[in-house]
Amino acid sequence: MSHDAYSPLLLKNIHRADSATLAAYRESGGYRALERALKEMSPEQVLEEVKASGLRGRGGAGFPTGMKWSFMPKGEGEKYLVLNADESEPGTFKDRLLMERDPHLVLEGFLIGCYAVGCRHGYIYIRGEFVHAHRVLLKAVEDARAAGLAGKNILGSGFDCEITLYRGAGAYICGEETALLESLEGKRGMPRLKPPFPAQVGLYGKPTSVNNVETVANVPLIVEMGSSWYASIGRPKNTGPKLYCVSGHVRRPGVYEFPLGVPLKELVFEHAGGMLRKDRPLKAVVPGGSSVPILPAEKCDVLMDFDSLAAAGTMLGSAGVIVMDDSVCMVDALLNLARFYAHESCGQCTPCREGCGWYVQILDRLERGEGKSSDLDLLLDLSDRIQGNTICPLGDAVAMPVRSYVNVFRDEFQHHVTQKRCLAKPATASR
Amino acid sequence: MADSQREPVTLTIDGRSVTVPAGTNLIEAARTLGIEIPHFCYHRNLSIAGNCRMCLVDIEKVPKNQIACSTSVAPGMVVRTRSEKAVKARQGVMEFLLINHPLDCPICDQAGECVLQDFSYHYGTGGSRFEGEKVHNEKNVDIGPHIVFDGERCIKCTRCIRFCDEVTHTHELALFSRGDHTIIGTFPGSRLDNDYSGCTVDLCPVGALTLKEFRFRQRVWFLENTPSVCAGCGRGCNVDLAINENRIWRMTPRENDAVNRSWMCDEGRLSFLRYQQTERLGRARAEATGAGGAREIPPEPAWEMAAATLGEIARKHGGGTIAGITSGHATLEEQAALSELIARAGGSRIALPVHERGEDDALLIRKDKTANAAGARLAGGANCSMEELLSAVRTGQVRALVVLREDPLADFGEEAKVARGALDFLLTLDWRVTPTVNASDLALPVSAYGEMDGSIVNFEGRLQLLRPGLRPYQESDPAWRPLLEIASRLGGSAVPKSFREAFRWTASRVPLFAGIDTPAVGKLGLQLDSTSSPRGEA
Repeated sequence: MSHDAYSPLLLKNIHRADSATLAAYRESGGYRALERALKEMSPEQVLEEVKASGLRGRGGAGFPTGMKWSFMPKGEGEKYLVLNADESEPGTFKDRLLMERDPHLVLEGFLIGCYAVGCRHGYIYIRGEFVHAHRVLLKAVEDARAAGLAGKNILGSGFDCEITLYRGAGAYICGEETALLESLEGKRGMPRLKPPFPAQVGLYGKPTSVNNVETVANVPLIVEMGSSWYASIGRPKNTGPKLYCVSGHVRRPGVYEFPLGVPLKELVFEHAGGMLRKDRPLKAVVPGGSSVPILPAEKCDVLMDFDSLAAAGTMLGSAGVIVMDDSVCMVDALLNLARFYAHESCGQCTPCREGCGWYVQILDRLERGEGKSSDLDLLLDLSDRIQGNTICPLGDAVAMPVRSYVNVFRDEFQHHVTQKRCLAKPATASR
Repeated sequence: MADSQREPVTLTIDGRSVTVPAGTNLIEAARTLGIEIPHFCYHRNLSIAGNCRMCLVDIEKVPKNQIACSTSVAPGMVVRTRSEKAVKARQGVMEFLLINHPLDCPICDQAGECVLQDFSYHYGTGGSRFEGEKVHNEKNVDIGPHIVFDGERCIKCTRCIRFCDEVTHTHELALFSRGDHTIIGTFPGSRLDNDYSGCTVDLCPVGALTLKEFRFRQRVWFLENTPSVCAGCGRGCNVDLAINENRIWRMTPRENDAVNRSWMCDEGRLSFLRYQQTERLGRARAEATGAGGAREIPPEPAWEMAAATLGEIARKHGGGTIAGITSGHATLEEQAALSELIARAGGSRIALPVHERGEDDALLIRKDKTANAAGARLAGGANCSMEELLSAVRTGQVRALVVLREDPLADFGEEAKVARGALDFLLTLDWRVTPTVNASDLALPVSAYGEMDGSIVNFEGRLQLLRPGLRPYQESDPAWRPLLEIASRLGGSAVPKSFREAFRWTASRVPLFAGIDTPAVGKLGLQLDSTSSPRGEA
């Protein structure tokens, strides 16, 4: 089954030149869901609807959004919804598209979320490098406020909700929700110990839920069309539309929207136009952003949803699909990744702080042809000692790819030791 | 909430059952069983950071290792500190911590009391698979008036940062940079300059923070600790005196949650240096009548002379003309002995000079710079001010004065000089040579800090013990001995032969001390309470 006939739900507005304006958004039916939620539904009803839709978080972990919201204490107390717009996972560029091209969709979903959890002041934490997205989103918030869609007494419903944008300073770790909260509070962005979880002790010590941009962009659909309609999209327990970021050696890299569960090969070979060069076959795919285990070509017959990819030993993650042809040297690719994580490790906890730099040293000597056979097992052993033993998932996010690259492409790593050069044909010229 | 009010929770650690109050973390729970869960960043008087990952333990039914410091006990919990999973993680942490550590133990002051070194022996593998270039960092950084920082030895446990954030609230320190280049430092324009900065050295598990006044002075394995109490102010922080070759090299806080938790101020920490720089009085000195200049005399003739002179003045002018100046610097036994002597001679006036400087702070420091002013009132019979006493001397109501560990000539200037001129006899007991000693008819040497046993009462009414680690200097004694020797020559009772006897004798004179003996005071002191019977806190 191909999805050629699929018409986008999340990206339906983005091709209009004026898609970022309030007028265009309203013309396409925008803010009807917010009005419906505020005027026809109680917060509990909204929450139940989101729960029933099966919506799972699009930031990477795939945790059910309705359940996450339901962890927030009920009642009037001060609490916060925070939008995680710190999209930084290598290979991932879907949230930026939504914010730049359809900011009101993001805002509408976020406001509905605020209503559902009883938040009177929502914060949007946006990646510092997203200068344009920040500008667009800020204008959208101002326009929404002027139109009575944000701020006091939204749409005459009596619901007040202020929205504040906050720009990050350029740290990958601030996409981790508790590091994000630290940064938002003006502190050094370092993950907190959990428990307590943000739903109990979050922003400024108050109950807080942190949601991804794409996640909240699904919420207006659910409210407007109903949870059973929404749940019919995709696959059981993996419902709804999904944005896939395809990059690497394909003819048409970009953001693609399909239901959860689109076959990886269909995505790469049909929608993204197939391999970039005819004589360069598929070697491997990283299906969910740089932090997830890699899939070799022979294991790419897999559906792109949370559970199917978990069964295949990897993760949907942020759906950053990085396609590699056989020109890629896996030692070089992993070294590149390790350098990223070593640079982005917050430095707080021992295994990640020290381990990431050690990975780089080992991979660097392997890449230079100065490694030893024992280095391969050392890389695997370091992964065992990092994964599961750190404060936050950044340690896992580097340990998992290291383990999978070495295990899947062990011959290639071994070749770097014994032949002191690349098995890839030929090595990438870029380095 | 007090421990006794919290629900008891029973769990199993390494196959042994233990019951502790709810809310106890696994490190403390294991400690009660004598099981050490190694840790670097955890400190019981700081917030939980959970960053070193050394205390990872294996908990049944929990897939990942958990850090013991931030895991509270739960009923039926089964904890394994020595399972393969826990051991492997711990060895990993040890190896990670050492890859960028300089391993310069032979030249590091911390060696011998270094937690990293100890744990490496106990929990490491003895080797490293690291072969690359270590990350280099700043060394020998002067970050404060008392502290030097070594960025390479630092393991980023952040105890020092948390201390400055949570205890002193001065916020001088922070983490800078990221990844394996992460380094602790002071904010631009700021120095680690607060009244308690030395505590960061105590907290530092490695040799990254060292005290200027101690570094390179001694190898710690030559030092022997004497548990005592700081005499720098009315708080009486519990301390260890680190001694080698009859000299104090370092004072560090000794944990006592009822007094100073794990802390002490820098002034107290360095107080021993001041004592060492002071000229000592080692033998009794008598002013040669008419000839000018003092001569040294043996103890017994000195006591005889004092008793004879005081007795004669009492006969001539009445016992009421004999008065004393007691001191908050003296121990309870010494204060009681002075009070006894004045009474034996027929006198009653005893003044207590006040030594106040600055203000009480919110943490430990007291403006009263004496350790035992409370004792002077309880046991020392202090009953008048210095002004009243000096005026009584000037008007001839007082003709003989016994001064205990005080220096009125330096502290009260012209007023005291005039009073000196009006006295027939000035007897001073001190450990140092002061203007008052030099102006005395008779000066008797007494023990200095660290040389004697003694009891003191802090501003909150806590009875604590000073302990000796140093040999007495020349012929100096705790002042109660010469004072009671003189008193006994004026018809007083027998002189106690030991500190314990002196303490009992003192306790018998003070209703609040009824039934207390020195063992009850113990290392942690005893809160005096007039309403309930005193109990020891071990």
